[in-house]
Amino acid sequence: MPHRMRSYLGALFRRSRLESDMDREMRLHLELYYDDLVRSGISPDEARRRAGAQFGSLERMKEECRESRGLAWSDEFVRNVRYAVRTLRRSPAFTLAAILTLALCIGANTAIFSVIDAVLLRPLPFPEPDRLAQIVTLYHSKSAEGVDDSQDGRTWEMLRDHATFLDTAASGGGWSGANLATGGRARYVDEQRVTAGYFAVLGVRPVIGREFTREEDRPGGPPVAMIGHSLWTNLFAADPSIVGRSILVKGEPHTVVGVMPAGFRMLGPADVWTPLRPTTTGEGSGTNYGVIARLRPGTTWVQAASQVEALGQRLLEGKRIPPETRVRYTAIPMQTGLSNELRTTLLIIQGAVALVLVIGCVNIAGLMLARAGSRTREIATRAALGGGRSVVIRQLLTESLVIAIAGGLASIGLGYAGIRALSLVAEDSLGVWQNIRLDWRVLVATMVVSVMTSIVFGLLPAVRASRVDIRTALSEGGARGVAGSSSRWPRRLLVAGEVALAFVLLVSAALLIRTFIALRDLSPGFDGTGVMTAAISLDDARYNTSANMMRLFTNSLERIRATPGVESAAVALSIPYERWLNMGARRLDGPAPGRIPITTLNYVTPGFFDTLRIPVRSGRPIDDRDTSESRKVAMVNEAFLRRYLKDQDPLSSHIGLGGSDQPIAIIGVTGNVQQRPGWGGGIPLSTPPAVYVPASQMESETLKVVHVWFSPHWIVRGTGGRESLTAAMQRAVEATDPLLPFSKFKTLDAVRDRTLIRQRFQAILLGTLAGLALLLAAVGLYGMIANTVVERTREIGIRMALGATAAQVIRAVVAPGILIAVVGLGTGAVLAAFSIRALRSLIYGVESSDAWSWGAAAICLLVVAAAGSLLPSFRITRANPAATLRYD
Amino acid sequence: MGKSADLLPGTLDMLILKAVSLGPLHGYGVLLRIGQISKNLLDIEQGSLYPALYRLEHQGLIESEWGTSDNNRRAKFYRLTAEGVRRLRAETRQWGVFASAVANVLSATPEEV
Repeated sequence: MPHRMRSYLGALFRRSRLESDMDREMRLHLELYYDDLVRSGISPDEARRRAGAQFGSLERMKEECRESRGLAWSDEFVRNVRYAVRTLRRSPAFTLAAILTLALCIGANTAIFSVIDAVLLRPLPFPEPDRLAQIVTLYHSKSAEGVDDSQDGRTWEMLRDHATFLDTAASGGGWSGANLATGGRARYVDEQRVTAGYFAVLGVRPVIGREFTREEDRPGGPPVAMIGHSLWTNLFAADPSIVGRSILVKGEPHTVVGVMPAGFRMLGPADVWTPLRPTTTGEGSGTNYGVIARLRPGTTWVQAASQVEALGQRLLEGKRIPPETRVRYTAIPMQTGLSNELRTTLLIIQGAVALVLVIGCVNIAGLMLARAGSRTREIATRAALGGGRSVVIRQLLTESLVIAIAGGLASIGLGYAGIRALSLVAEDSLGVWQNIRLDWRVLVATMVVSVMTSIVFGLLPAVRASRVDIRTALSEGGARGVAGSSSRWPRRLLVAGEVALAFVLLVSAALLIRTFIALRDLSPGFDGTGVMTAAISLDDARYNTSANMMRLFTNSLERIRATPGVESAAVALSIPYERWLNMGARRLDGPAPGRIPITTLNYVTPGFFDTLRIPVRSGRPIDDRDTSESRKVAMVNEAFLRRYLKDQDPLSSHIGLGGSDQPIAIIGVTGNVQQRPGWGGGIPLSTPPAVYVPASQMESETLKVVHVWFSPHWIVRGTGGRESLTAAMQRAVEATDPLLPFSKFKTLDAVRDRTLIRQRFQAILLGTLAGLALLLAAVGLYGMIANTVVERTREIGIRMALGATAAQVIRAVVAPGILIAVVGLGTGAVLAAFSIRALRSLIYGVESSDAWSWGAAAICLLVVAAAGSLLPSFRITRANPAATLRYD
Repeated sequence: MGKSADLLPGTLDMLILKAVSLGPLHGYGVLLRIGQISKNLLDIEQGSLYPALYRLEHQGLIESEWGTSDNNRRAKFYRLTAEGVRRLRAETRQWGVFASAVANVLSATPEEV
């Protein structure tokens, strides 16, 4: 009823007014009554007495008035809150532990879930995102299944021309840099190549200008480009007349046709877009395109997917498909496609953080149980003094609420901090390009879970305690020397559960840390100390012939080598720890000539193996004798030898590369180096078969395609330190071509760290979560033992008075703690054995039964458990038996 | 005060509403008015008056305003609201039904059963 609400709110917020009104009104009443009595002839003293008696207790009446205004409840609440804050301040350890537990659990869950939300749940930042699709190839075989989101030129043309249920568009796979020159200065910018209609499919229009037309997107079409908003504002002062003007991209003038809106981004960052110009030859002969699509109006997903599958069947006719493998094309929601790779990682992390939440809740429950246990007497006293059971329960409820609210507020801060930290690393380490925002739904949901835990477990004992026979409870401490043990079991089970869950997390973290260390410490196969590298994009009109490229390499390398402090220098298409070009090959001689399924390919200049100190096992390295005129030669690595040439003498063998049968003589065998493999299911580093050819013997046509995907690296070894090597490289290239910018300069260690960044992230994150779980479990154990010590102080006093040594008493108190830890560890081991399976896809180089990981986790847990149990028991040694006997 | 009748539970509110329906009154005035119109047969326990007044005001049946009493003192005057008028009418009707029913019961003779 609105009137009552107003009256209640008026009473609540204009409290002083209500009080003074009430006071004046009642005083007037008393005066009038007194006057009447005196007037009727009663003596003033007697009148005053009667008035007072008749009116009863003024305060009780006022209280009734307040109650009739609905104020009693809020009065009691305020009182309860004050009392709760006072009580909680008296036990800061408990309060801090409870609030911190809540804050950490809620905060961590919110932060991690916000990442999941950004990647898996929140719709993509495009209009009608639920109608956006990605075209993928699904592989099913007995041993494996996979999703491939890259397509070849034939597939693209089939989809473009016949998929009537979908508007399709394609982009070039991978991100290579491009050279952009303005005002006599060149910079290395991010470029993305897209087909006509790419932005229309996404539903994003350029802020000015237009996107590419079909004419511009044909091979041989006019050089056009679109630019990103930040490039437009930073380089061209947001001048709208940029559209129609010409900018120097990739060594030739491109006409700007449009500018994309601020913040537009699809996958990686891009400053410049150029037409993809898809073909079925060259780049398009392999699966190098990503195809996206938008469902046409009125089309259902089922229709679209079955049309794509039917078109795919036609493409698959005549293709070699491995036996017992099913391949089909389909359209899947774009969000699913884009998050495919991350999903497992994110869900594992979410699982871990949810475990921490469970441990936290268990901890809160344990803390609350302990607190109520030690307050049985207080509750009984209050009950004896006339506090009704409901009053006591409301009081305890208020305490739980105060803790919950404090923890909740702290968790918002922690959640924000967590999100900030994750945002900083998410793009680099996880490839998360969406904006990560605090997810309020989860914050509220986790808060409800934790708050409910604290309330339920805060209340259960209260209900139990308030049912307690007042006399027994009050006399308990005095009458019984040994504290009751039956009520301790729920808590022991909770702590054992905590320990078990913490162990699961510890083993998982240990395995991921071992994975990271194993990968980092893999024998690199080369010596990268004192080596700097940087890439230059040669996807550039001025370097589209082999001769031009070689002139650049020779001139710049000569200048670099002439710099004091430089020992050696070389150029290679790819460097260790990065992904190399995949290539099919043929064995042309030996006992079994024929197809070689796949190898990696690298072109190098003379001096490459010296500069990286990659050992040459037999034959000779590529050197100055190998020119464009001389006989075609190649080196292979040991992995190639073992896999493809094991039955023949490598140094008298010939291979053909790509589709060509032109013989290439193998002149030497080198050691393996670590690479990021382009096939073979997610392992971050391995030593696949590799072929090295002289840069001078690369065909111009091949170079053009290869340089779209890969930027060659200048590799320099020297004694001068990073700065001087960097300067030498920059000067040398500038002197050769002032409009050729280097990308970032990096050491090979940095390249390795970049490749392993996800493993590192996973190890750190899970390690942190496991540490948190361990801490919470330790707090749980500590609290339990500390509580036992307090409860049993009298018993301990008696024992010590009877001659028990401190060590004996400590053993008696600590033993249950250790026992619980061991039981928890055993349970945890069983749980871990099952849950580790979820981690399998993230573990490399170590077995999931890795003794080191399990042992370290167990030792870690036991040490912490022992510490958590021992610390509170030291109080015993300081105790004075006489004092403990008096203690109740 | 043996001569006064005990109040039935729930009748105090009705009496207060009736008292203020005759004209705005302060708390003590309500007491006097009830005494006066009941010819001092009904005696209100003073301690329960104010909680009742506050309750009725909270329910929106009466409203209050500060004014000046007969002997020039600041006093809070209560008057009936429209809602209060309706309630008083309903209560009066119910009371009539109730009272006559009770009277019928009490006047019943064995023959009528």
